[in-house]
Amino acid sequence: MPEEETSTVNTAKYDPNILPDMLPVYYKRLFPHKPFYRWLSYGLSESNIFANREFSYTLHDDIYIRYRCYDTQSELENDICSTCPHKIDIGAVMNTKPKNFRITSTAMQPVQRELVFDIDMDDYNDVRTCCTGATVCLKCWKFMALAARLLDAALREDFGFEHILWVFSGRRGVHGWVCDYDARHLDSRGRSALAEYLQITSNVTINGVVIARVQIGERMHHSVRRALKFIEPLFEEIVLEDQNLFGDVKGVNKLLLMIPDDTARKDLEAYLKKTHDDGVHSRTIWATFVRYANSMRTGTANVWTRKLKNIVEEIQLGILYPRLDINVTKGMNHLLKSPFCIHPGTGKVCVPFNCNAAAKFDPTTVPNIAQLLQEINAFDDKSKCQENGSEDKSRIKDYKKTGMFKGVVVFEEFLRKLESSLKAKAIDVSDQTMEF
Amino acid sequence: MDFRRKTRARVVRKPQYENLEIKYPHNVALYRTPPIEDIKINEFEDLALERLKVLRILEQANSKNLRFLSDEWKESVNTELNREGLRGYLRLCMGNSVNPSTDSNKYEQELQARRRDYISHFILRLAYCRTEELKRWFLTREMELFKYKFSSMSSTDIKHFLELNKLEYVPLNDSQKDSVKDGLYESTVGQSISKIEMLDFYKVPFTQVLDLVRTRRCYLKNGFAYVNTHDFVSIIAVIQLNEIEHGLQSAQKLIREVEADERIFHLLKSLHTSYTGKDYALNKEGIVSPESLDQLSKKSFPICMRGCHEYLRTNHHLKHGGRMQYGLFLKGIGVTLEDSLRFFREEFTKKIDAEQFTKRYEYNIYHNYGKKGSMISYTPYSCLKIIQENAVQDDCRGCPYKTNDASMLKVKLASYGLSSAHVQEVMGYVSKGHYQLACGKYFQIMHDSPVELGVHHPNQYFEESQNVMGNRSTKKLSNTKQANRNRRGGPENAQVMNADEDDELWNTAETQESTYNSMQAEKSAWNEDLDLTHIDC
Ligand code: SF4
Ligand SMILES: [Zn+2]
Repeated sequence: MPEEETSTVNTAKYDPNILPDMLPVYYKRLFPHKPFYRWLSYGLSESNIFANREFSYTLHDDIYIRYRCYDTQSELENDICSTCPHKIDIGAVMNTKPKNFRITSTAMQPVQRELVFDIDMDDYNDVRTCCTGATVCLKCWKFMALAARLLDAALREDFGFEHILWVFSGRRGVHGWVCDYDARHLDSRGRSALAEYLQITSNVTINGVVIARVQIGERMHHSVRRALKFIEPLFEEIVLEDQNLFGDVKGVNKLLLMIPDDTARKDLEAYLKKTHDDGVHSRTIWATFVRYANSMRTGTANVWTRKLKNIVEEIQLGILYPRLDINVTKGMNHLLKSPFCIHPGTGKVCVPFNCNAAAKFDPTTVPNIAQLLQEINAFDDKSKCQENGSEDKSRIKDYKKTGMFKGVVVFEEFLRKLESSLKAKAIDVSDQTMEF
Repeated sequence: MDFRRKTRARVVRKPQYENLEIKYPHNVALYRTPPIEDIKINEFEDLALERLKVLRILEQANSKNLRFLSDEWKESVNTELNREGLRGYLRLCMGNSVNPSTDSNKYEQELQARRRDYISHFILRLAYCRTEELKRWFLTREMELFKYKFSSMSSTDIKHFLELNKLEYVPLNDSQKDSVKDGLYESTVGQSISKIEMLDFYKVPFTQVLDLVRTRRCYLKNGFAYVNTHDFVSIIAVIQLNEIEHGLQSAQKLIREVEADERIFHLLKSLHTSYTGKDYALNKEGIVSPESLDQLSKKSFPICMRGCHEYLRTNHHLKHGGRMQYGLFLKGIGVTLEDSLRFFREEFTKKIDAEQFTKRYEYNIYHNYGKKGSMISYTPYSCLKIIQENAVQDDCRGCPYKTNDASMLKVKLASYGLSSAHVQEVMGYVSKGHYQLACGKYFQIMHDSPVELGVHHPNQYFEESQNVMGNRSTKKLSNTKQANRNRRGGPENAQVMNADEDDELWNTAETQESTYNSMQAEKSAWNEDLDLTHIDC
């Protein structure tokens, strides 16, 4: 795929105050209406699958409108372009047209909905030292990338899902959309079981410090083993090097609190105090801890050989296992921000990314709306100079001229697979019906 | 051997017995078709209350924090079932079927137990279909009961059950099993490797065994779960769950018709709140004097009662609902009728004259003690009943955790001496609508010790509080004891002259004796009766 972006570092500053002025151009020229419709219409494989879908918008001054719905792509496109929402949320497909819900007699209910995941950098605040609050850097992103890859693998291998779209939320979070038929039709009981299956950590608060704990138990469940396969190789890089998490007294305390046994914790604390000065590098602390734990758990029967026999693995999981907001996943009717929205705070586009290459994705270089508009202007100017009215060239989709391009490519690749599986299914069904 | 009330004895004639076998072919039923049978209203009520007791026992085991289906859990449930004389259910739960040809007597009893189980389930559907909350409670309990029954089945039982219900599941063959064996070894929880080698496994869509998925108890691959015979219950449980959910919906449609009969209407409507637990109607431990109430109310009353007490002390009045709630509570903790009359009279007459009191309120107090009107001795209200009262704010009636608004409640709790952190903790439960848990938290804070079984009755709250204080501060208790003893002198001396008082004491003595007897009987029953030979249903 072409080398065009990154060639010039575009540095247009984003100013939230002029967002309303930029949005009309963005929606008119850049928002990928066609692929967007292709996604949510699912090849019209089920009746009303598009027409009964709820869209809702946030307008200026946080005005919120719900229950929008459309019969066709152009209706949707026109409405988006004329309302210019600051944010688009996608809801469920209902049993009736959402906008009619007040006048129909039957209660409105969701009939299908992508299975969604929401991972927020906020939930990692206790394990990142590189940034605080809303800022996010490449080091922070490693938590997200790992989380997305790990969940993606679990969803594919354990649940057999194939059509999963991962989207950068525009600031620091990640959204996952599972779009397989079975995922879309999972009821809320199924969603909540699946969400809890994937949530292996549980938070405990000790002295005001929140600790994510994991309990592996007798034998390691295959899903936990797989998680470790992802986590172990990155633990040193992310936790010990990048974050140097145990590099100060507070960090060491954090490590200690992850041990769910008071006496064992005190013993270890004494041992670490004796062995190291305050403030030695995380690598050293960790190595000492692992050595200590290993010697204890191969010794005579004690708490380390029983309750704490997996403590090293448990701590690694506790720190790096994906931290999910499972309430988002559990609900069938939960609204989630649409891909290709502009994040109102950063001005960045919510772009899909390729999960297998998540580590190479760089959230800091995701273009903001100001840059994008500058890019199409620059492109327009250039083509005006070079071309003398070759009609064809101006037909190039505008987003292909900008830093959004990659995101759209990822999206289209996802759609291509989705559509071909829908077709295969349709053929399957027609074959079956012919038999009778 | 039977030490229970004899009201349930019934004669079974042969034809009915054969009929029963066809109707109720298995200990574990999926309750697919409603029973067609005329039953008398008395039996209707009897069956309903009996099942309710069973479900309450399950709920209680839950609140004891015992792991579902663990040995301790089973023991606790079995003991309770036995104590409550619910041995038909006990038998169904323990799953040891009898051989019809060798022991026809016992077999008949088993069939009767199946019938009671079957019919009562459908009765409760009618009672529990009215609100989402009731439905949820019922569904949870019924599923526990079902899983318990199912878990006791032998593999032959299970096979028979599957056949009867036309559920066809085919286990993996050897090569299929071999292809996923690593996953099975790794992820089948609760079975040793060698067991896993022996066990049959079934491959089902993961949506059929959500509880196994949720807790990561089985191997999952490509959307399919691999489930062994022991966890098979999860699959069937989903079927059962759907069946009951569906049934509740149909019941809802039916309900109007059924309720045309007023007696049934009342029975069904109040069923969930009817009290089946320990009988607090008469205090057995001792007599509490009104003089000690000020102190006790601070230490040992839940806030619903403390509120009543304080209101009465400051306003010298209580509306009818509050009088019932508080008056019966006082009766339950051991305030005698005489003392109760005196106590209320002293307060009320600060505002009205004695004659008015006698005219307007005395009757009510006699009534509470079962001395007037229907002569029924009323039972103190349980939390369930108090919480469900539609009390208004300025009334003392109801559970303050529910009726008071948050700011008022916070002020109240703070004024009772809770730190703001503690107030927050309690309010956390309140905001989620967990009033009894809030109450339990309050107890824990006040006593520095948790309520073992959670709070389900204000009188239980009181008793537990007294117990805890007995352990913790002997000094204080001996004070109250002293006070009690002093007071006790009074009524006892008076007993010769006061017929009512006499009755009261008789009742107390009688109840104490029967409690003792039944405890003794139970002890021996538990030893001899483990094989369930002596069931008298
Ligand atoms: S929970 Fe029960 S005991 Fe506690 S205040 Fe409410 S009604 Fe009273
Ligand atoms: Zn960072």
